Amino acid sequence: MIDLNERHIEKKSFFNRLLLIYFFFGFLFFFLISKTYSLQISSYSDYELAALKNKTKEVLVQPVRGIIYDRNGNILVNNVPTYDLIIQPSKVKNLDDFIINISKIIELTEAEIESINKNFKNKATYNRELTIKKNLSKEEIAKFEVRSFRFQNAFIDVRYSRESKYPFLFSHALGYVGGVSNDKVLSILKNQKLKQSETNFKYSGGFIAGKTGLENIYDSVLRGSFGKRIFEVDAKGRFLKELSFDEPINGKNIFTNLDLNAQKIAFEQMDNRRGAVVALELRSGSIVTYLSTPTFNVNGLSNGMSSLEFNKLINDVNKPFFDRAGQGRYSPASTIKPAIALFGIEEKIVDWNFTLKDPGYFVLPEDQRVYRGWKKGGHGTIDMRSAIVESSNTFFFSLAYKSDINNLISHLSKFGFGRNVCKDCFNPDSGLLPTPEWKMNNLNFGWFKGDTVNLGVGQGYMSATPVQLAYYSAFIAKKGNLQELSFVKYDDTSDTTFINNLSIDDSDWNKIHSSMIGVIEDPKGTAKRLKPLKSYVVAAKSGTVELVSTETKEDYKLVRQNIGNRDHAIIVAFGPMPNPEYAVSVVIENGESGGSVAGPVAIAVLNELINK
Amino acid sequence: MKKKLDFKNFSIYFDQYLFIAITLLSVMGLFFLYSASQEDISTVAKQAVFVGFGLLLMFMVSQPDPDFYNTFSGLFLIFSLLLIFLTMIFGKEINGAKRWLDLGFFTLQSSEIIKISLPIFLSSYLYNKPLPISTKHTFITLILIGFIFAIVAGQPDLGTSLVVFMSGGYVLFLAGLSWRFIGSAGALFLLSLPFLWNNFLEPFQRQRVLTYLNPDADPYGTAWNITQSKIAIGSGGINGKGYQEGSQAHLDFLPETETDFIFAVIAEEFGFIGVCILLSVFFFILIRCLYLAFNARDRFCRLTIGGLSLVFASTLFINLAMVVGVVPVVGMPLPFISKGGSSLLSFYLAFGIIISMATHKKLMQR
Repeated sequence: MIDLNERHIEKKSFFNRLLLIYFFFGFLFFFLISKTYSLQISSYSDYELAALKNKTKEVLVQPVRGIIYDRNGNILVNNVPTYDLIIQPSKVKNLDDFIINISKIIELTEAEIESINKNFKNKATYNRELTIKKNLSKEEIAKFEVRSFRFQNAFIDVRYSRESKYPFLFSHALGYVGGVSNDKVLSILKNQKLKQSETNFKYSGGFIAGKTGLENIYDSVLRGSFGKRIFEVDAKGRFLKELSFDEPINGKNIFTNLDLNAQKIAFEQMDNRRGAVVALELRSGSIVTYLSTPTFNVNGLSNGMSSLEFNKLINDVNKPFFDRAGQGRYSPASTIKPAIALFGIEEKIVDWNFTLKDPGYFVLPEDQRVYRGWKKGGHGTIDMRSAIVESSNTFFFSLAYKSDINNLISHLSKFGFGRNVCKDCFNPDSGLLPTPEWKMNNLNFGWFKGDTVNLGVGQGYMSATPVQLAYYSAFIAKKGNLQELSFVKYDDTSDTTFINNLSIDDSDWNKIHSSMIGVIEDPKGTAKRLKPLKSYVVAAKSGTVELVSTETKEDYKLVRQNIGNRDHAIIVAFGPMPNPEYAVSVVIENGESGGSVAGPVAIAVLNELINK
Repeated sequence: MKKKLDFKNFSIYFDQYLFIAITLLSVMGLFFLYSASQEDISTVAKQAVFVGFGLLLMFMVSQPDPDFYNTFSGLFLIFSLLLIFLTMIFGKEINGAKRWLDLGFFTLQSSEIIKISLPIFLSSYLYNKPLPISTKHTFITLILIGFIFAIVAGQPDLGTSLVVFMSGGYVLFLAGLSWRFIGSAGALFLLSLPFLWNNFLEPFQRQRVLTYLNPDADPYGTAWNITQSKIAIGSGGINGKGYQEGSQAHLDFLPETETDFIFAVIAEEFGFIGVCILLSVFFFILIRCLYLAFNARDRFCRLTIGGLSLVFASTLFINLAMVVGVVPVVGMPLPFISKGGSSLLSFYLAFGIIISMATHKKLMQR
């Protein structure tokens, strides 16, 4: 028999030990409850969100980009829906295998494979979609759909390709669109109050943005806002049902003042020569023609071209990508003369009766340096009108010599030189209106009187873009009442009063117009060859930009053997007179003669604009 | 209160508290399982059959006198071991583990039985030994525990083998295992951890432990289960999302919803309030077992009630700790709730024996 006392001790030990374990479990119990409490109550919102994120998937719905019209309602740029094969690169483990497998169903060109390989890594890193092939045929779609189970991460969806109806005509004016950098995507999403979450990127195509031209300037208008579909998904990512759908807001259409036919004429006339044509409608101050040649196929750039084609364009010596109209810098040469003449009148340095004997050159009194005119022997005794009509350099050398450089600069600035004159041009260059400070800062030389003299004939340091030259032309045509240029019709155009600070009498403006008419109509006019090309009166001023300074015609003959050394041809014109409606500027690089080479292009464009 | 209903010559042994609590848990389990199984009525029906059979089993098992179990505990252990050996020979291999014995009408996880029979046997073995337990008997006991642990671990089934180990360990501890021994064994275990890690754990088990230690390292890989389980529990909030409304459970984010992770489904759909109600039933059962152990008639009954109730508690807490992400995923059911006949039946068996131990008065002594 077991001793009672011993049994009592044993029982007590058992109870103590059992209680010890129970206390331990009690503690564990409390711990687990508190853990559950912290999950369910303290961190509830985090986990609620996590569960919501688990079961929902956002799919952005691409808005349709706005259409761009010309002023007559012709569609210039449109959107073409295409069925594209798209993958989610972050989910594709082996790209080579994928390409091999997909190639068995859908034929891929070398350029397409190259583009896939090039973009794959970046798109995978940022979890953005990658288009494998655009514009699938019905057969390709059917072939893919029956085998789609083999390609879990690939799908076919509608994407809109940007299509320019006239891919070569408006390359620089309207520009092209393209994929967007990852930073830009974030900023677009932010502007549209969309969160940067993994799902945003997933199936959201249409992250295209305007890269250049109006596509860029009006990108936010054209783009619209993304719509959003929210789906319930299971753990395998299968879409179970649509929970909500916010419709996308499509981009707004843009109605430009561009004139399709005038642009066509300008393009034909330029015939791929290097240069630019800019034409303006005077009433509204809007751009109707904006052409830089040679040009390129903007659709290829918007929707993908092979790197071979792209490199060919990039390496082309004629630089087709370069927007000569807005960024090309050319000396205004003799086209500057009407502005200098108006300065002389305004500053009362000269009047219309003032005459000067032109021996064909001007000698700078300070250092006896000789500044030559274009005509050997000179133009004889001339007044200001003849100096414009015949383009006497001597007259304007002399006039500039008598001018204060700072006053002259501020005068020329009012005509649009040295500043941006366009509201919605892409990346416009301001040209150069040289000041003594500029020269000191950039060339480390003081301003010479000779620099002022050179400015009198638009040579030397001064340069302007064809857009500025067109503005200048329109400014004279409208007698100084011109505001900033724009491509797009603004409703409030007519209300704007323009203050130009010029104190030039209407009669002086009329005399300038008459002189410029003389450039074409007068038998001695430098552009008299243009007279028969039109049926109305046009005011113009031609110019020839000397690239290499030569003393004699024989020297120039040697110089011109190298095409790149030949003079640039420039003309500014407006008409019909006496009530001008349009102004135009034409630059043809190495075209040699402003009047006879650039002139016909300008007249042809005016004909199209005026005669219809 | 222990009850002995007298029908003239015939007594029924029955503990109404445990019986009601366990029946309640079982019915709640069926209810939860219906949602956790994606409204699969056949799964629930099958489970219901086990519940019905289990309750009957519990009742029947509580009728014999503890002496019966004392006498036949050795046979019971041998029978359990036999089942394990049969499993090793004829068992079904699932996911690299050979744990299941196909009995035609039901697939038995044989290791579930031994976690019941081992503590009963040890209680019986220590019944007439002088206490505190001598070194010799300590070693004999430990060798037996170690042997059975090794067999189960070799299936491999880390979770169950740990519970089996504990089931023996609890009895040994309750029987008065010396503290000095516990201290030195603990030290030895810690020292041999690296050796055990390299030689006894399967790669997938090692991975589970590593995942547990650093769950953020691989959020979509092995840590997926823990992450999704936490999201399910956390997103349940106070009131839960409502019955059958758990998105984590119903959209397949949560793994093993019917078995190991059923607690997460309950927490998601019924929230903290539901969790508290469920856990209070478990808590009640454990407190009742403590009371019964304190009032047991002799050492055998005490040790058996203590051992079996601690096995139950251990299974419960390991499951809960795993689901809320505080211990590695080891594969442990939530007693009376998780799908799975073997686990269910083994606990009905255990509680049947506990009731027998608690309700039979010793006639000879006192």
